[in-house]
Amino acid sequence: MTSTNTSTLREDLTRVFHWRRVKVMLVTCFILHLPIFATWLASYPLLVGRVLFIGFAVLLAFGLFERWPARLPGWISRWGLQVVAVAAAVPISAAIAYTITTIGEPQHWWQTPGRLSGFGSMTVLGLLVSPWIAVASLLRQIKDEAHKQALKFELDRSHYERNALDARFRLLQAQVAPHFLFNTLANVRELVSIGSPRAAPVLESLIAYLRASVPRLNEPSSTLGQELELVQAYLEVMQMRMPDRLKFNVEADDAARAAKCPPMTLLTLVENSMRHGIDPAEEGGSIEVRALVRDGRVRAVVTDTGMGLTRSNEAIAGLGTGLANLRERLQLAFGGDATLTLSENQPHGVLAEIDFPVRIGAV
Amino acid sequence: MATRATALIADDEPLLRESLTRLLAQTWPELEVVAQTRNGRAAVESFEALRPDICFLDVHMPGLSGIEAARFIGRRAHVVFVTAYDQYAVQAFDQGALDYLVKPVELARLADTVARLKERLRAKPEIPDRDALLDQLAARVYKNAAPASPPGLRWLRVSVGQTLRLVSADEVDFLRSEDKYTLVAWHDQAGQLADGLVRTPLKELINQLDGEQFVQVHRSVVVNLRAIKLVLRGHNETANIHLKYRTDVLPVSRTFLHQFKMM
Repeated sequence: MTSTNTSTLREDLTRVFHWRRVKVMLVTCFILHLPIFATWLASYPLLVGRVLFIGFAVLLAFGLFERWPARLPGWISRWGLQVVAVAAAVPISAAIAYTITTIGEPQHWWQTPGRLSGFGSMTVLGLLVSPWIAVASLLRQIKDEAHKQALKFELDRSHYERNALDARFRLLQAQVAPHFLFNTLANVRELVSIGSPRAAPVLESLIAYLRASVPRLNEPSSTLGQELELVQAYLEVMQMRMPDRLKFNVEADDAARAAKCPPMTLLTLVENSMRHGIDPAEEGGSIEVRALVRDGRVRAVVTDTGMGLTRSNEAIAGLGTGLANLRERLQLAFGGDATLTLSENQPHGVLAEIDFPVRIGAV
Repeated sequence: MATRATALIADDEPLLRESLTRLLAQTWPELEVVAQTRNGRAAVESFEALRPDICFLDVHMPGLSGIEAARFIGRRAHVVFVTAYDQYAVQAFDQGALDYLVKPVELARLADTVARLKERLRAKPEIPDRDALLDQLAARVYKNAAPASPPGLRWLRVSVGQTLRLVSADEVDFLRSEDKYTLVAWHDQAGQLADGLVRTPLKELINQLDGEQFVQVHRSVVVNLRAIKLVLRGHNETANIHLKYRTDVLPVSRTFLHQFKMM
């Protein structure tokens, strides 16, 4: 519990004499005063007044020690202090109540058997009940706090999910980015114009790629096998466009293909390799995609022999957001049990590795 | 009227080079495509060798981009940019009144551009200085990527015999003063060694190069730190630099030895 040093008096009073607490106090006072009323000899208002005085004093003690002193030595717990304060407040406030209401009397109230027994009843009943009520109130506060935390967690999680969804939409937009699409279509048109037999297979690859790039929204996950097909289609298209600058190879265990993963997992990495590694290099390079299963975990690796990590800021900035998105989606899908690491490939290029548990069926 | 002219086409995608060549043959049969290059560097080198009247440059190319190539070409040829649809590029082109074509190239649009080019060649007006426009274009096109390219000269124009070569700063091994000129020794990506001359004295060149990457080790020698394999200290406050890609050994003179203090 943090104390706000700058809380005003008004805020403090609102807290200490919060309506909920006052209600509890009033109900308790009502119940407790009944047995005393049974044998009360003095006036009724006097009884009510004294009992209420004790009630408010107890409330004040509870509220005061809730925040004051701001710092406690390690061996005193705040809740303990509050309960003790509440207990102590009962006899003290009862004494004060009796003293105030018997000023000017010839005898001290404690010398009067009737008054003394009244004081005794109030004190005993108060001591029996108020510490428990204090404890119950504290427990309730703890439960409220826990509930608030749970709500916040839910809220964070839904923000997280929404971010992931946003990321997917943005990724979607990037996939079907005009630049890629029109460049590719220009190439395909040329193949068709010259009557090349390569036109049809390239169109197949393009169609496969575009179809997979528009994932169905109610399918939040994909299989590694689908990812590999997507990546294969993408690389085939790119190789058609730059045959002198791209070599590639895609390999995977059968076991790996069945594993569930977030959509675009591999494509994100392969596109990064293409955009920041191979494309800017005058001589291009090669991209290798491999996936295997070991000890119940999937290891997928995308390596390229392109420009590497130490290139221009432009590459780093682009890599940053794309990979951050991917990491988020992996964390969301595997509850934090997934890793994504980048390292320099030798002699130049990037090695990106994803590691996550094998899940067949629903993720 | 048949207007004869020569042209160069640059695009990193071979099918698109073929495509533009074919379409130009349809709309402008008298145009002779003298070179097809696959990146900006080759485009500039071919331009220097062949001096075509028109250059069709893809904007997005590895190494030297179309925009940077246009800078090197300057006012010596008409330049037509070719770009896959990119809203930033198109805006910049429209505003800067630079000629451009959008991929896939449509015959009708190409015909318009060809008509305009023919007109200009006939009238022979001065080709305007495009540098300011190119700066704007570069800023727009790279708006998203926002590159913070390292300071200093990235590309050197080196004369090797009669040909002009563009050498990337990263490929340079060392530079040596040869009177009013500078000898540049470099290795290309295939590992081939080469050297040539730059018509700028070393003193000036040092100021243009990135100070973090190029270090003067001798009154007449500047070395690329990336090309150093190791530095061996000798007696009498001397040292020798052994290079990664060459067998040359560069002496470090006393004045510059302090740069190689052990860390």
